[in-house]
Amino acid sequence: CSRLHTKPSISPTVLLSNMYQRPDMITPGVDAQGHPIDPRTIQRHFEEFYEDLFEELGKYGEIESLNVCDNLADHMVGNVYVQFREEEHAANALRNLTGRFYAGRPIIVDFSPVTDFREATCR
Amino acid sequence: RSRSKSKRISGFDMAPPASALLPGATAAVAAAGQLPGTNPAIPGLF
Repeated sequence: CSRLHTKPSISPTVLLSNMYQRPDMITPGVDAQGHPIDPRTIQRHFEEFYEDLFEELGKYGEIESLNVCDNLADHMVGNVYVQFREEEHAANALRNLTGRFYAGRPIIVDFSPVTDFREATCR
Repeated sequence: RSRSKSKRISGFDMAPPASALLPGATAAVAAAGQLPGTNPAIPGLF
């Protein structure tokens, strides 16, 4: 989708853009040296990422839902959507995460209009 | 989930790799005209 989505000024959901990078994101199934990656390795990598996120985000409020786009396509790649119980929690997370790093990459954080992930499609 | 096992270090506040800050470590850094050491020395401090 190439639409310009409006970013709400307040929302219970925050979006962390392109945050998750799977180990085989350049070449699916193999690492940078061309060796095949065990799916369990990728799964563990993902779980550790999820755990880091959950632990850090839990400091800022009660997490209602935590969605990670584990995809390889450019669109929304590695986007993380965090829905908090309260808007203030999301605002708190946004304040605290802005300008920080995760695994050597800057964290890009914004509010997201998504509040129901079952119906999270472009409108 | 149990927290008793020794926790690996979280990826949060992990600054860009130190090698990127060393002189001549990456051509990209040099090409960008960025002086080594201009990156924040202490991650997470703003």
